[in-house]
Amino acid sequence: MNTPTEDHDLLRWLDGEMSAVEKTAFEARLETEPELKSEAELLQRLSLDLRTHLPAEMPVPYADFFNSQIQVRLAQEENRQSPTLGSRASVFQWLRLPWLLTSAAAMIALGLALWAPSTAPQAGQLVHSIYVPSSSIQARSYHSEEARATVLVLDGLEEMPADRKIVGFNLMHSEVDEALASTTLYDGEGKAVAVMSTHAKSQPVLLTAAPHTP
Amino acid sequence: MKLCCSFILLCLFSLARVQAQEMPPVQPLPTQKPATDAKVWGALVFATNDAAEAAAMPKVDVPAEFADIPQLLGKVFPWQRHEVIGQHLQDVFREYESWVVPTKDLFLKIDSKGPATGGGMNLHLQFWRDQQVLVKTDAVLTRQSPLFIAGPKWRGGQLIFVLVLKEAR
Amino acid sequence: MPAPAAPDPGEVPDIDLVKRCQAGDTRAFDVLVGRYRGRIYAMTYHMIQNETEAWDLAQEAFIKAWRALPSFKMDSAFYTWLYRITHNVVYDWLRKKKIQGEGEFDDSRTEHRVAAGAEAVPHGDLPPDTALKNAELGKRIQQAISKLSPEHRQVILLREVEGMAYEDIAATIPCTLGTVMSRLFYARKKLQELLKDCYEYAH
Repeated sequence: MNTPTEDHDLLRWLDGEMSAVEKTAFEARLETEPELKSEAELLQRLSLDLRTHLPAEMPVPYADFFNSQIQVRLAQEENRQSPTLGSRASVFQWLRLPWLLTSAAAMIALGLALWAPSTAPQAGQLVHSIYVPSSSIQARSYHSEEARATVLVLDGLEEMPADRKIVGFNLMHSEVDEALASTTLYDGEGKAVAVMSTHAKSQPVLLTAAPHTP
Repeated sequence: MKLCCSFILLCLFSLARVQAQEMPPVQPLPTQKPATDAKVWGALVFATNDAAEAAAMPKVDVPAEFADIPQLLGKVFPWQRHEVIGQHLQDVFREYESWVVPTKDLFLKIDSKGPATGGGMNLHLQFWRDQQVLVKTDAVLTRQSPLFIAGPKWRGGQLIFVLVLKEAR
Repeated sequence: MPAPAAPDPGEVPDIDLVKRCQAGDTRAFDVLVGRYRGRIYAMTYHMIQNETEAWDLAQEAFIKAWRALPSFKMDSAFYTWLYRITHNVVYDWLRKKKIQGEGEFDDSRTEHRVAAGAEAVPHGDLPPDTALKNAELGKRIQQAISKLSPEHRQVILLREVEGMAYEDIAATIPCTLGTVMSRLFYARKKLQELLKDCYEYAH
């Protein structure tokens, strides 16, 4: 077993943290101590393998979506910040701003859309972004004017096996346990039906009681 | 650790069940209720053209305010019958993840991102099938406009997930 | 921190893009995201080894960087600064995991994990005279890295992947030089133990 100082010397030599003088002295020592030399070679090899197999740069899945998603979020933040600016600035300062006219027009247009009867099409798209981890699934969304609903379509989903029994719940109430980060789910009669939680890597864990009976 | 965590959860779950059986039906409020941003109604719908298959499904009693959902689904999806086979009325917590679990097979994780400027709520949604996340999306959910997620095909029909905003702060 | 790769002659320098970002130009930020997303994603991926979560954390890092850009004084390279933000994002995530009962920072458990991992090594699977194929070694290295505690994993990644000098590692974490050396020493010891059979056969 090496002493800590020796370990530190080996480490500093390995990581190129020694001065030229220190390096020469340490390398001379390596020639006289075969055990230390063998340890040094092993660590050098490990270091090289780590560098080879842990790339400093990796291709980002859905790289274009990665960028566009960031732009969407930045735009959302900008929108959220604008009213704050308004509350700080005086009305007269606002009136001097050249973009006020365009903004006012846009706000009136938005206001009209919001005031429109509920059967009218919704203003704008309600789905900001979609990310699908599996390459075999494609997702798209649209607004159905007839149903007044946002529809998210997932193409390429694997069919549920016909012999699988889909168990529906009738859940009316839940309670969160903050310490365990779990949620207990209750039915309309106050019976605990399931506990939902997540374990490592945010995978859900669902513990269920008896299946729902009508 | 996972085993240990699952064990604790199991104990908690058993305790919750025992309490539920021994106490009156109305649940006592927790001492500190986490802040909520909204209340949503999530449902799993089995859409099919097979009347016998639809009739055989165990159903749930849908609150009157959501009774028009099957009819609206009929305007979007090409199926004759839309049966609500599971439902979940859930608070959307401000600082915690919320789960909408109308069935153990397909469920939704919701993270609140606060009220949307034009009304409704900004939500980050993750649609799960067992241990697989099928899609993640950032969307605005408004009271006027429900979200329909076209899920997997099943028994000649299709499973559809419905999310409706019931209340928002 | 290794010097960034020499920019293409026609490439806009980081500093100019940063100035444009500080004036509110999101398109300039888009260029910076495109330039560094691969390195930031590699860092988050190596730290948590889950593609989906690593993707989300890399996003979070860039969003936080955008928010913090007005206060960036350009006293270090943009990437160094961005890397520190990413490091904080990953650490917050790991801390939350710890609060959720995963105990990620428990070093005594790491020791136990190392022992368990070492036992799980399939000694009988490879003939002694056959060196492990590159791909297999890569997989084993990924597995070994995932068995380190986050602190040990981080210091190894900063040194071997990012090529940082001790002083830069200490400034990034932040901690003392002694802590950097001691973590590097123990991280390598653990990796050696976890990958023992690879190197025994290779020699």
